[in-house]
Amino acid sequence: MNEPKVSLQRACRVRKERFGLLFYDSRGPRLLFAETGDLLEPGFFTGEVSVDETMDRLTEAEQRKVTGLLSNLVKKGFIREQQIC
Amino acid sequence: MSNRFVDQGLRAPVNVTWEVTLACNLRCRHCLSSSGVAAANELTTAEALDLVEQFSQAGVFQINFGGGEPFMRPDFLQILDACHDRGIMTCISTNGTLLNRPLVERLAKSRLVAIQVSMDGVDRKSCDALRGDGTYETALRAVDILAKSPIPTSINTVLTAANAADIPELHNLARSLGVSLRVSRFRPSGRGAENWEELRPTPRQLLDFSTWLAESGDVRTGDSFFSLTSQERQGLGLNLCGAAKLTCCVGPEGGFYPCAFLQQEDFLAGSLREQSFQQIWDESPLYASFRRLRIHSCEECQRFDQCHGGCPAVAWHLKGRIDGGDPECLENCVTMAEA
Repeated sequence: MNEPKVSLQRACRVRKERFGLLFYDSRGPRLLFAETGDLLEPGFFTGEVSVDETMDRLTEAEQRKVTGLLSNLVKKGFIREQQIC
Repeated sequence: MSNRFVDQGLRAPVNVTWEVTLACNLRCRHCLSSSGVAAANELTTAEALDLVEQFSQAGVFQINFGGGEPFMRPDFLQILDACHDRGIMTCISTNGTLLNRPLVERLAKSRLVAIQVSMDGVDRKSCDALRGDGTYETALRAVDILAKSPIPTSINTVLTAANAADIPELHNLARSLGVSLRVSRFRPSGRGAENWEELRPTPRQLLDFSTWLAESGDVRTGDSFFSLTSQERQGLGLNLCGAAKLTCCVGPEGGFYPCAFLQQEDFLAGSLREQSFQQIWDESPLYASFRRLRIHSCEECQRFDQCHGGCPAVAWHLKGRIDGGDPECLENCVTMAEA
């Protein structure tokens, strides 16, 4: 398994909220509310938390949810293209 | 947009408007804060740097600096550096008079700053009439320097009766300079209140602007025009007052307010000199009241889902209450224009 590459765009930020993660894109500005609960930490997107280790501890259903979120974030321009598995 | 996540309350604002000083070298007739002389007890450098740290800890994404003229503050670059060192993005609203090439080169190094230069007319005569002699040429020179830098730059224009017809031409000017155009709403606050009747756009001008805006997707309107925003721009997320929910304002002396247009004693949520920023954000009864605010008088309106009653600040300035509905909303403009 290749090390997944998850990287926020330069103009974007992420932080933890009660519902999960809040993404901000200063180019809009735009917001994206990700209802991830405690599934992911902001560090997942900033290199402070290992993507591999995070994915490994998730159930299959949770992994699918995260993969779906990543696809959406790429599509909406919040993160750069990445490779999962 | 009625967003359940926003309704639940965010742990910090997405962005903060920080009026770092009241000092200004211009005396614009529509200035929202009557800027000119610095406030008596503005935050010290140490207090300002501590506030940056508090914003960073809270998770604030962006700080929008205004004033007054931010560059009039001798320690402004130090405050900016502190933001950028913590990864906080910044946007500076400036009149452009103090910008020069070396300063722009220094600012560009952070890669985290955007700049808005105020220009309120498409030529010397119309701009200088609102902002003072020589301001058009000065702003143009500043925009020209910025346009040659990597800094995202926009011309910021306050829509008034005097310049409403010039907006499309200002858009063309911005494009020709390689920058964007941002149009802000004129509100009867500060010196704007003194000149309100003369400079207030007519309902017809507001309707025409709304129509033009719908066709001009690259024009930013930032905080202010959601009550005038037509269906075509709903996707841009411009239909919600974010005061005390997504944003807030801190004044030169450390007072926190819901937004820059409500910096009156009645709307003081707390002072940095008495409480931490996080305490004010989490516990201020005033902020809580803004989060609960519903404009019931507008609920029967066909556009309610789009504007939710419009701008509470305009309602307060013109009708004396924040829950009175925006008197200059699209529906009211249509009614007034027909009358």
